Amino acid sequence: MNAQLTQINPLTLIHRNRLLPVPGSVNVREGQRVAPEDIVAEASIPARHYLVDVVRALSAKTLSAAEKMITRKPGEVLQKNDIIAETGGLFSRVIRTPGEGRVVSVNKGRVLIEAESTRIKMQAGLAGKVTQVIPERGATIQCYGALIQGVWGNALLGCGPLTTDYESLSGELKTSAIGVTSRGAVLAGGTCSEAFLAAAAQEKIGGLILGSISSSLISTALELPYALIILSGFGDHGMDELSRSLLATYIGRDVSINAVKWNRLTGDRPEVYIPLEGEAHAYEEQAMYTSGQTVRLQTGAYAGRIGRIESLLPGVTLLPSGLRAAAARVVFGENLREIIPLSNLDVIFSNDRFIGAPDEGGVLWH
Amino acid sequence: MKSGLAQPMSVLGIEIGDVHTRGHLFDIVENSYRLIASSSAPTTSFYPILDIGDAIYEVLSRIQEICGRTLIEKSGELILPALPTGDGVDQFYITTSCFSSLQVVAVGLLNDVSLDSARKLCNATYANLLESIGINDRRSYSQQLDTLLTIRPDLVIFTGGTDGGASRSLLRTAELVSTALQLLPRGTRPQILYCGNQVLSAQLKDVFERYTTVRSAPNIRPSFEGENLEPALTELDALVMEKMNEEIGGLKRTSPLCTTPPQLKNQGFMRMIKFLGRQYDPLKGVLGLDVGMNYSMAAYSNDRVSILNTFNFGIGSGLEAFLRKGDIKDISRWLTFPVPDTVVSDALWNRSLFPLSVAATKEEIAIEQAVLRQMLQAMMIDLESREIMPSSRFEPIVLSGCTVSHVADPVRSLLLALDGIQPLGISPLILDKHSLLPLLGTIAAHNSLLAVQLLESTAFSNLATVVNITSKTRAGSPLLYARLDYADGNSFEVEVKQGSIISLPLAPGATGLLRLRLTSRAEIEELALIREPIKVQGGVCGVVVDARGRPIVLPEDQGRRIELLKEWEFLLGAA
Repeated sequence: MNAQLTQINPLTLIHRNRLLPVPGSVNVREGQRVAPEDIVAEASIPARHYLVDVVRALSAKTLSAAEKMITRKPGEVLQKNDIIAETGGLFSRVIRTPGEGRVVSVNKGRVLIEAESTRIKMQAGLAGKVTQVIPERGATIQCYGALIQGVWGNALLGCGPLTTDYESLSGELKTSAIGVTSRGAVLAGGTCSEAFLAAAAQEKIGGLILGSISSSLISTALELPYALIILSGFGDHGMDELSRSLLATYIGRDVSINAVKWNRLTGDRPEVYIPLEGEAHAYEEQAMYTSGQTVRLQTGAYAGRIGRIESLLPGVTLLPSGLRAAAARVVFGENLREIIPLSNLDVIFSNDRFIGAPDEGGVLWH
Repeated sequence: MKSGLAQPMSVLGIEIGDVHTRGHLFDIVENSYRLIASSSAPTTSFYPILDIGDAIYEVLSRIQEICGRTLIEKSGELILPALPTGDGVDQFYITTSCFSSLQVVAVGLLNDVSLDSARKLCNATYANLLESIGINDRRSYSQQLDTLLTIRPDLVIFTGGTDGGASRSLLRTAELVSTALQLLPRGTRPQILYCGNQVLSAQLKDVFERYTTVRSAPNIRPSFEGENLEPALTELDALVMEKMNEEIGGLKRTSPLCTTPPQLKNQGFMRMIKFLGRQYDPLKGVLGLDVGMNYSMAAYSNDRVSILNTFNFGIGSGLEAFLRKGDIKDISRWLTFPVPDTVVSDALWNRSLFPLSVAATKEEIAIEQAVLRQMLQAMMIDLESREIMPSSRFEPIVLSGCTVSHVADPVRSLLLALDGIQPLGISPLILDKHSLLPLLGTIAAHNSLLAVQLLESTAFSNLATVVNITSKTRAGSPLLYARLDYADGNSFEVEVKQGSIISLPLAPGATGLLRLRLTSRAEIEELALIREPIKVQGGVCGVVVDARGRPIVLPEDQGRRIELLKEWEFLLGAA
C-alpha cells in the first residue's frame, strides 16, 4: 500500500514552482538568487469598471450623434476629470471621468472604463536560485535546506529569523514570550491560545509555526496578518519530537513559511524551509509502508505522536470501531505498542540523519 | 470502445472516488448476475503518482487474490474480453465522482423563472453556482461586470426567455457576458452553456464563440410553466466529465478499454433511482441518499418526477464546507458518551485533513456517525425547504455511499438513517452495502440485466420496514398496539409508547401482516391505508415502529440525552 509521506527533513534538495493563476510578467531570470519576499512574477486582473452612457447623460438623439460626442478611444489612459464626451457648441456640456482609469471599449454610445485593477504578486516564498523560468507564469526555485511539511496553513507567506526555545516548542506559547525581538521574527511552539495569536499580530511577527491548534481558532487564524502553519493537526497535542528537535537546532536562522492550503491533487502543501549550506539529494516522494519506518499518527488519542512500525499485520484487522482495515503494530517510546490502521499513519522521511545534540532532545532518525 | 459480447458473462466495474478507488467483479452464478469480489485502494490520481492506473492495478490484484482468477496479463494489461479459461472479463465500466466542482455563474432574465431553473441545473450535478445575474438585478452594469471578472467562473450558464419570447433583454445581457469575455485574459475565460430562448441560440453562439467555447442545449425554460433540464444537464455533466478527464491522470488512457465511456457517479446513481421509481408506489416515490467523501447526493423519483441534488459536503475533505456552516453542538448531541465539543470539532477537522484515515476506536466511529446523521438531516431539510419533491413519504429509502453503508452494526446503520432522515409514514430502508448503485447505473446503460439482478441480490440488504408514528402526547403514553402475523401462523404483539422505538422480528426475505391499532392521540401519515393489515417485508432489523416523534427532539441535559440515545440503541438491540 502506498504510504502517505511527510518530510521532516534536516537537509534535502527543494524545488518549488511559484506560478501565477493568470498570465502575467516574470521578474526573474534563470540563475538569479532570490529572497523569500522577492516578487518572482506579477499580473494584473481588471477589478472595477464604470460605464458611461453618453446617449443618456448628454441626451443624444441618435447613437451616431452620441458616438460623435465621445472624444476617447479604447486604450487611452484617463486622469480624474478628463473629458470623455462633449456636446460641442457655444454652451457645450461635457462628461468627465470620476477618477483615473483606462478606456476599455466604446460601443453603442457607451464608454466602458477600467477604473481599478488588482495586482497579483507572486513571492518567491523561499530563499534560493531560479532554475527555470516559465514564461508569463513564474519560475522554479531551488535550494538546499531543512524542510518540514505541515497539514494546514492560512494561505500566507512569511519569513524571518526563528525565535523560540525548547520549552515553547514542547508546550504552549505564552503571550509573555512576545517581545520587541518578536517583530519580523518567525515564532514556533507546540500550541497557543487566541490571545497569543492576537498579541503576535500586534507585534507584527513574521510568521508562526505550531504543532497543533484548537479547531475553534480556525476562523481567527484565517484573519491573521501573518503566516500560520500547523504541522500535525487540530487539537492540543502540540508539536511532535522530530519537528521540535529540528526547529530547536536552527533557532536564530532565517526560515520561511509557505502556509498554502494543502492540495492533494497538485501536491502543494504548507511547508517550512530553512535554507542551509551543503548539498543533498531530492527527497523520496513515494514509498510503501514497511516495518521499521518512522511514522506520525494523524488522528485519535495518539494524534501527532511519533512511533515506529514494528510490523505490518497480514490482511485486514478488525478494529475496536468494528471496521476492518490494513494495519500495523506501532511502537511508541520504549514499551507502548498499539495496532493502528495504515491509513492513519504518515511516514516521516528524514534522509537518515541525526538531528540536534541528544542533550537538546535530539532524535535518532530511522 | 470494445464492443460487448452477445452474452457477456463477467463484468468489471471500477469507481474512482476522490479518496478511494473501488473495484467490483460480477459474474453469472446459477443463471443470475452476482457480485463475486470487491476491493479498494487509495486513489492515486493525486500528487506524486498523478495516475489512476496504480490504484486500478492494486484493486485488480486484490480481486485476483480473492477470486483466484487472472484479470491482468503479465504486461499489466487488463484481459479483455475474457479467455475461454475464464480469466479476464467481458465488460469493463468506470464511474467517477467529482474531484473539484465546476464554478458557475448563471446569467438569465427572471430570478423566479430562468434563473431558478439554472439553479436547479447546477444543484443536479457537480456545479457550484457562485452568482446569478438577471434583469431585475439591482446592481449596475459595471458592478455586474466586475462580479463576473472577479469570480472568473469555469462556466457561464446563459439562459432566459421562453422560446420565441423576450429577445431584447436577452441581447442586453449577452452584451454584458461578451464584454466580460473580452476583458478576461485568454485561457481564463469561462465556457458558455447556452440554454435560453432558442430563437437567439445561433446568433448568440456566434457572438460568444469569438472569445470562448460554447455549448448549447434546448431551452431549460421553453415556456413560463414548463421546465426541461435534462438536455442541458447532459451537456453540463459532459463538461464536468471533460474536467475530470483533465484532472484524473490516466483516465483518458483507460477510457478506450471501457464498454461505455466513463460516467459521473451522480448520473449512474440517478439512473438507478429513476429505475426504482418506476417500480414502486407512484404516490410515494423512491428516495436515494449517498454521503460521499467530498460530495453527497440525494435523488428522488416516482413515475412522473425525478430530482437529483448534489451537495458540496461529505465525510472526507467535504467536511470542511459542512463544519464551516454548522454548529458543532448539533453534531455532538448525537453522541452516547460525554465529550467536549472542542474534541469533536478537532476530530472532524482532522478527518477533513486526512480523508483516508479510518475511525479506529468506538469513540471515533461514533463521532463519524454523529456527523453523518447531521449531514442526512441537512440534505432532507434542504430538499424539503425547496419543495421540489412531490411527496415527503418514500418507498423505499435507499442508503448508499461507503461511509453510510460501512457501519459495522446494522442497528446503528438503521438508527443513523432514521435520526438523519426522520421519514414519515411507512418506509422500507434498503442499504447498498457495497455502494454499488452509481456503478450499476453506469453498467445499466449497456447491461441492464446485471443491474436488475444485482438489485435483487444480497448486495442490497433490507434494513427494516419502518412505521413512523407522530403524536403530541407526553413521553411514555401508549400510542398503539402492533401485531405482526407470520406466515407460519404465529404472531408477535407489542404495545408502543410515545418516545420509544421498537423492533418486531421478521427475517430478511420473509413477509408478514402488520396490524396497527392506534390510540386517538397518535397518527401515521398513511392512516387511511392502515385500517387494513399491511403486508410488510422483513429486514435485518425486522419491522421497526418509530414513535419518537417528528422532528426528534433530544433533551438539552447531556446526561438525560445520553441515557435516551442509549435506550434507543438498547431497544433495537444494538451490539
